[in-house]
Amino acid sequence: MSKSNESAPKHEGEGTGPLEKGILTDVTKCIGCERCVEACVKVNELGPDLPAHYKFGDGLNGDRYTSIVEIEGPEPGTWRAVRRQCMHCADPTCRASCLVGAFTRNPDGAIVYDADKCIGCRYCMLACPFHIPRYQYDKQLPYVAKCQMNEDCREDGGHPACVTACPCEATVFGPRDKLIEEAKRRIAAEPDKYIDHIWGEHEFSGTQVIYISDVPLWETLRIPDQAGLDKRAVPSLGHDSIPHLMHGWVMFTPVQFFGVASALGGYAFLKRRQQLMAETAAAEAKKSAPRDSGGAASDDDEQEG
Amino acid sequence: MDRAKANRLVKDILWVVLIAGGVLGVLRFAFGLGASTAMLDSMPWGWWKIFNMVAGAALATSGFVVAAIIYIFKADRYRKVARLSVLVGFLGYGSSLLALGFDVGLPHRGWHPVFMWNPHSFLFEVFWCVSLYWSITALELIPLVSERFPFPKFTHLMHEVMLPFVVLGVTLSTMHHSSLGSLFMAAPTRLHPLWHSMWIPPEFLVSAMGGGLATIILVYLGLTWLTGRDRDMHVLGGLAKWSAIMLGLFAVIRVVDFTLHDKWTFLFGPDITWESYVFGVEFVLQAIVPVLLFATPQGRRSVQALILGGGSAFAGLTANRLNTGITGFVTSSQEVYLPMVSELLVSFAILAGAGLLFLVLVERFNILEEPGQRRGDGVELKPIWSRDEAEAYFKPELIRAAKIAVLVAPITIFAFQGRGASPYTPLEQPVYTSILADDEMRAELRIDADRDGDAVLFPHLKHQQWFEDRKGIEAEQTCVECHHLSVPEDENTTCRACHADMELTTPMFVMARHEERFKKPEDREKFLSYDLDDPEQNFMACFDCHDESMEGLAGYADKGFTHEAPGFREAMHGNCLTCHRREETEEEKSDAMSLGNCYGCHDWAEAVADMEPKPDASQLWRDGRELYLEGELDRAEELYLKARALEPESPAVLYQLGVLYRVTGRSEEAAEVFRQAAQVEDHKDAVRAREALDRLEAELPVPEDVEPELGEAG
Repeated sequence: MSKSNESAPKHEGEGTGPLEKGILTDVTKCIGCERCVEACVKVNELGPDLPAHYKFGDGLNGDRYTSIVEIEGPEPGTWRAVRRQCMHCADPTCRASCLVGAFTRNPDGAIVYDADKCIGCRYCMLACPFHIPRYQYDKQLPYVAKCQMNEDCREDGGHPACVTACPCEATVFGPRDKLIEEAKRRIAAEPDKYIDHIWGEHEFSGTQVIYISDVPLWETLRIPDQAGLDKRAVPSLGHDSIPHLMHGWVMFTPVQFFGVASALGGYAFLKRRQQLMAETAAAEAKKSAPRDSGGAASDDDEQEG
Repeated sequence: MDRAKANRLVKDILWVVLIAGGVLGVLRFAFGLGASTAMLDSMPWGWWKIFNMVAGAALATSGFVVAAIIYIFKADRYRKVARLSVLVGFLGYGSSLLALGFDVGLPHRGWHPVFMWNPHSFLFEVFWCVSLYWSITALELIPLVSERFPFPKFTHLMHEVMLPFVVLGVTLSTMHHSSLGSLFMAAPTRLHPLWHSMWIPPEFLVSAMGGGLATIILVYLGLTWLTGRDRDMHVLGGLAKWSAIMLGLFAVIRVVDFTLHDKWTFLFGPDITWESYVFGVEFVLQAIVPVLLFATPQGRRSVQALILGGGSAFAGLTANRLNTGITGFVTSSQEVYLPMVSELLVSFAILAGAGLLFLVLVERFNILEEPGQRRGDGVELKPIWSRDEAEAYFKPELIRAAKIAVLVAPITIFAFQGRGASPYTPLEQPVYTSILADDEMRAELRIDADRDGDAVLFPHLKHQQWFEDRKGIEAEQTCVECHHLSVPEDENTTCRACHADMELTTPMFVMARHEERFKKPEDREKFLSYDLDDPEQNFMACFDCHDESMEGLAGYADKGFTHEAPGFREAMHGNCLTCHRREETEEEKSDAMSLGNCYGCHDWAEAVADMEPKPDASQLWRDGRELYLEGELDRAEELYLKARALEPESPAVLYQLGVLYRVTGRSEEAAEVFRQAAQVEDHKDAVRAREALDRLEAELPVPEDVEPELGEAG
């Protein structure tokens, strides 16, 4: 697979064009007030909160599409709040892995889960590199839960409720290219404060949701750094998507089908034909009237189909 | 062991497992996945999918391999195990698919992939190939059944048309075995690099072929032993040889994969973790042992070696699939998934059901024979169907099963752990915890409403005192300054009672309960005449009847009283901040740590959230009193003195100290501290001290029941 230095491979017009909207979260501005969580719960009519220390690490669960994770700050004794939510990948693994195609990508880049198609196999949960989709294990008829970022949670002006709720503008919504520009501007304006990296700009082909921070977010966002990817022998994921990584094997599937079928079928057909010809020849020989056995095998050949 | 007995025992065990797992399987649908499995958000694929489906399919591979050997490569001597292999494949895949019915969240939508396509998904490919292949195994078994019926022409026809289906079946098998591996290729950053590989499709395919042949060796050995038929060592040796070739090929692929992708460091280099050892054991079991044992003709001829090698390959293949699907995800998930008893029993029950079906089929159909031959060595097949015979066979079997069911089913209920302490069931856990031990007054509270470990420290008593000192409110009246008294005659209502959720509103007014209380129709009519959507009227509705008993509500009349309580966060911020902002000075407002700003309450709490209860006077003298009552006077005195050092004028501490001095005969010192304590106005312990002082001065003997009464804190 050729490694391109482009930020994201374009799949059928997808990528990071001006249509795509995203969310920029500036960790240095977040005070961890959880207003975004509150707004998300209300707008999506999610269930009551659960004891946080029973939630899997970051607080996302079947009833929470977003959450605040507290991590250590740049100096000892300080802390930073990081908002977790679906990253809305340019080329999401959940969409590629879902066997019924329950995940679709809206024109504005939101990855939307269709509960009506879902059969509950939870492959999306296994496949998502960011550990985002969660399952409603407590329900009799459980569904996958994840941030939708579609019209369901948009408020006045088309902004998601979580973003409007933020009192410090730590999380902002807008066209992705503008957000990247803004992120770069902020980093350039205060190079001492920020780490010179935009999480989500390139990783896994780029995501609609991006982060800038003054503390490393690799662990929190579950994005392995390039050294980690090299170690795992999948270095291309620094700028390429998992579906693209597996694309070769997907394409190999029909080749495998027709290849194996024709090879085995052909071999079996030849062998059977040989056997029939031998039998016919023997029968002919028995008749002691040696003659050419041209048409004798044709009846049997039809059975091979 | 006697064969009949062994047969009976095997069947009984299968019945027990089937019934126990069956009961638990019903409970899974009754209570949902969260209650009956240990699966987690970080470990979404559990035992059912990995063991029953991924490992199960690999172990049941034999069907396609043997079919290919016989029908395509015309190695006729393997015809003896042809039907056995196909039957193992049919039952194995059937049980895998059944297990998926339990595992999948919405199994009634199992038909969705037929119409809703996503050809990019390997799971989609697995779905189609597995279900089609399963149908083909069923088709391949048709002659087995039809030959027992008098339609020889149909049976002959089936034999004749089988070849294309065999070719299709083999093709589908190679596809889904590689795709079962590809499933895990989608998790390159989550699955441990020892198991994740871009070469996983061929690795899965070849290892399944080798392991599947080893499985058929074991099944053949077990079955011939159980039914008392002859073993064909020639066939077994051939199977072992092919198994070894496949497993050897698998080992070679793996070694090349590891070398090319530079993964040896995870096994021998600096990156050794516990996974390295698990992987090592798995690889030795899966490939090294069987290949070594099956490499020589002697090994292939010895039953012990066959059992050992077959068992090793079987265990290794299972371990490989479980590790790829479960163990390899542990590190990245940061959580450990251990299947629950109920999960395991359902899983084994499905296999037990398949096993019972297998035994019935083996007894009634020509499975171990070459097609078309009748048995000659004494073990008669049971007739396919006769009413008497069926009654004689099935009736006792079913009666026995029913007996086992009566015994097993009730016990099984206990195996259902539910998930009491489940991540998905909110626990009844206090939101307010006292910092101080024995804190009846709730003097210092940690408020952790969303129970995430970060709390706000709330000096409850100090707030009470603030109202007393600064506003001149009587002690009993201070509660209503912050608390509602929401229920009639309530003395205080905890915030969490109505603000039950962190974010969501909670309806707190139960209409139905009020309605049924009205005995007189006119009262009822009056009640219903209020417009409950109007906050003003709402309040009046309560107050008209509960004017005396709900006085705490009075202050909220002008704020608009609705029957929806806001979320905890909103209520707390509203309640605390309104007052804090009003009361803080201009100077304080500019300070980030001021009580009117976030960090005034929140950061402070975080810093001390995990602190040990700090020693304070009240705690010290209480501990001292405990020691005093136990007769440890020296240690008690030590603690009292420490408490006095912290709060030299606390009448409670001084009184307790005085009692101790008095008892130990130091009357003068006792009189001194009692006098000090008595100086405090209006305190229970001061009054006691005065009484004690009077007694001391009158030189009355110390009363026998000298147990000091519990005073008020500090």
